[in-house]
Amino acid sequence: MRWWQIRRRNADLERELRADLELEAEEQRERGVPAEEAAYAARRAFGNISLIREQTHEAWGVAPIERFWQDILHAMRAARRTPLLSGVAILALAFGIGLNAGVFTLLNSLFLEPPTLKDANSFVQVYPRYTGWFMREDQYSSFTTEDYDAMRDRSKALEEIAAWQVSSPTLDEGKPTATVLATCNYFHVFGIDRPLMGRFFASGDCSRGSATQVAVISEATWKADLGGDSSIIGKTIRLNGSPFQVIGIVSSDAANFLPGGIFIPYTTEPMLEQGIDSLNSPSTPWLAVAGRLRPGFSRSDAQSELSTIMNQQDRAYVKRQVSAFNRKTALVLTNGSFIENPAIRDRVVAMTVFILGPLTLILLLACCNVTMLFLSRTVTRRGEIAVRLALGAGRGQLARMLLAESLITAAVGGALSIVLVYRVPLMIMNVINASRARSVLMIHPNWRVFCYLAVLIVLATIISSLMPIRAAWKLDLLTALKGREAAATMRSRTISGLIIVQIALGFVLVCAAVMFGRLPSLITGMNPGFDMRHTIGVPVRVDTSAASRANALTFNRTLESRILAIPGVQSLAYASLGPFRRVPPTEIRLPDQSAGQGKPISVNNVSSGFFSTFDIPLIKGRAFNSADSTSPNADFVAIVSQAFAREFWQTEDPLGKSIITPDNRRLTIVGLAADTQSESFGVTDGPRLYTLRDPSTLDGGLFVRFSGDPKPVENAIRDTVKSLDRRQLIAPETMWESLEADAEQMRSLAGIILIMASIGLLMAVVGVYGVLSFAVNQRTREFGIKMVLGADRGTIFRSVTRQALRNTLFGLLCGAALAEPAMLALARFQSGSPLPLRGLNMVVFVVSALLLAAVSLAAAWLPALRATRADPMQALRAE
Amino acid sequence: MTSIKEQGKQRAAVLQGTLDMLILRTLLYGPAHGHQIGKHIQQTTNDFLQMQHGSLYPALHRLEGRGWVASKWETAPDRNREFKYYRLTEKGKKQLLVEESQWKQMMEAVARVMWPASSREG
Repeated sequence: MRWWQIRRRNADLERELRADLELEAEEQRERGVPAEEAAYAARRAFGNISLIREQTHEAWGVAPIERFWQDILHAMRAARRTPLLSGVAILALAFGIGLNAGVFTLLNSLFLEPPTLKDANSFVQVYPRYTGWFMREDQYSSFTTEDYDAMRDRSKALEEIAAWQVSSPTLDEGKPTATVLATCNYFHVFGIDRPLMGRFFASGDCSRGSATQVAVISEATWKADLGGDSSIIGKTIRLNGSPFQVIGIVSSDAANFLPGGIFIPYTTEPMLEQGIDSLNSPSTPWLAVAGRLRPGFSRSDAQSELSTIMNQQDRAYVKRQVSAFNRKTALVLTNGSFIENPAIRDRVVAMTVFILGPLTLILLLACCNVTMLFLSRTVTRRGEIAVRLALGAGRGQLARMLLAESLITAAVGGALSIVLVYRVPLMIMNVINASRARSVLMIHPNWRVFCYLAVLIVLATIISSLMPIRAAWKLDLLTALKGREAAATMRSRTISGLIIVQIALGFVLVCAAVMFGRLPSLITGMNPGFDMRHTIGVPVRVDTSAASRANALTFNRTLESRILAIPGVQSLAYASLGPFRRVPPTEIRLPDQSAGQGKPISVNNVSSGFFSTFDIPLIKGRAFNSADSTSPNADFVAIVSQAFAREFWQTEDPLGKSIITPDNRRLTIVGLAADTQSESFGVTDGPRLYTLRDPSTLDGGLFVRFSGDPKPVENAIRDTVKSLDRRQLIAPETMWESLEADAEQMRSLAGIILIMASIGLLMAVVGVYGVLSFAVNQRTREFGIKMVLGADRGTIFRSVTRQALRNTLFGLLCGAALAEPAMLALARFQSGSPLPLRGLNMVVFVVSALLLAAVSLAAAWLPALRATRADPMQALRAE
Repeated sequence: MTSIKEQGKQRAAVLQGTLDMLILRTLLYGPAHGHQIGKHIQQTTNDFLQMQHGSLYPALHRLEGRGWVASKWETAPDRNREFKYYRLTEKGKKQLLVEESQWKQMMEAVARVMWPASSREG
């Protein structure tokens, strides 16, 4: 018999006991005991029947389940008796759990899931890492076309291997659009069998040498960028000017995991960018590779087989002496999910922690609220609890009872939170990028999400019942049994502790919100040290290969003269460093230093008009002029930034000094330029060296300075470029405009964080209010007596607010102790990005602290006011 | 207060094994219901083991759970009523042998400590 047959077993036991008991009574009667006494005698001989029953249940091993069920029933009755209290607790937990699980659902879909819906077990993605080649050794890279061919042709363990690269060519005359250059089995390998409309690639579309210019587009791109035209199949779109015929549409659900909105055969790669032909290059790694395991083969089989193939490729590559480099390839095979991608695994994990961390705080705040509610319930029920204890209930039993109550609350809250689990991911996607939200339909919770939910519920149960259990255990039995309700108070340390925890958690959340909330205005409000509103970046693509060098130079010259002819344009310049990009440093040394002793410096190779075009003031000396030589035989001149001068010569005048570049050129400093903030937002750049660009090279990006309204100038530049080369479809923007777009995105991100922090703050306020009003209720008698003894209302009001204030301050300190290391970690984590998330601690802390102090005082106001209304007469009468 | 409880627990643990053995041994004579088993143990020990019949039932159910005894409702030959009869299973017979030998070993060990001379003679 199993435990669920408990009723039958019980009936059986009852029958057995009854039968034997009757037999005993009969025997007693036969022995001559009077009939009416026989039954009692039998019972005496038998022992305590309910004890027997209980012990037998223990022997069955079902007693714990029975007890648990009783606890649950009891908890449900308790919850029904205080519906408002239970409702608030459930709602708080539903929010706390729901936000966590909802965001986790999003992270799960984006990071943890393999990028396929069909038979994810057989999907493998292959990442190569090269040593001895021209790449950094610890970097994961992609495959060359030859390597892909070798794997596809020779692998037995993988039955199908696809390859792709993501590029962003300009779609028609519009914006750059993420486009996947894919092999023709791409959709099949990713488990997408049917197009929404039209067809996918046929194998002929990818034959080498005769690339077919066809394109499959995703449902989202079709609707958002191409107007949802129902007769799109067969029409032509242009990518970087080259025509592609649309042959099919892949549904949003299926394309959810795919990294682009347009799919074209990878063999069309040479057409997209002039002068770039990765497809036919033996030493350009450009393809990401994934495949499907043949039945019967494991991932490690594939790993060893592909490694062997790549070793053969390495040997052949070195033997042919394609490049001067040696090459050795190591492979990693994963299930294709983001978090397993070896190149970014650490960052993804860190990001997950940074996203889920603050959310956990919200859950903790919810738990605090629930703790408070349960605690007050425990205190009002202390009579009942005292009776239980007096009757011999064990502490374990008491703890189980209280645990069951919070389990019920957490479970119902968790069940309600499933609504949020389904809604939150879409809401977030909508806020982040309204036009792309449609493409992310496939974010559904799966087993992992529900496991996470279950873990959260258990955690919430335990955390929120800890304090009530402690309070019940510490109950003073005698006082409670005497029924002196007014005499029993909750320990003030518990109250202070709860306020401190809630303020601390709230503070950390508000810090995060303030930090991110400031970002957009920091980005747009900063002064980078150069003019962003009147400088336009012109992203032209020129073929830099040796064969078309002359053409490219002519193109550049013609473009320069035509742009200068546009009304409003004042000057133009080339610079090798774009603003707000990270810069790999170069070693610069003084003449008396040997190589290796120098300092890492970022070098900007600029044309002579650079300083006037960017409006960077020169503090000393002069700017470059056309008389400065760039020929290898003459002396070179250079201009340095203030930071550079400080770094090398401290306070000395840098003009006339010399420095040595890695290629042993000696440069004489002729000018000192003001520092700029061009690497990351709001942070002054490190030492920077400006060298003069050789006009006969094709280096650097083109920047144009103008006066007046940017729109006509931008349009004129676009038309000029197009008229020179109709395949160059560019969208020139002032640096300010592209920054605005960044800020816009930051603003929506900050919006989400703000909403979440507001929920957290609200919970903290409600919590502090709840704790204080409870404490005031408990102390009504004390206040009454104080008044009788002559305290005025002001004194009492102050005593309550002072307690709140003291705890708030302490909570803020604790919060700062939590937030400071978290912010440092965050700053370290994103040190590569230009966002100004560091060096602002003081501002963020002060603003957050003021906000929280104000809010917690507001929460203390009502309870304090209520304390002053304590009626001395009533207090005395109760005495 | 707790010490009494603790003592009770300890005694229960020691006695439990013994009680199991006694029940199994009693059932070796043939199927019996709870009352009979209790009576038999009480009588054969000359009422030395003053046990309440009630304590048998948890033990019987535990033994049944382990598969050492099997139960069936049958009509008693002398009373015209059904009782729950327990019988020894094969597994139970083996278990009885095991417990018996363990008990013997313990008895011998205890005897060697208590009466060193006589055990040397033996």
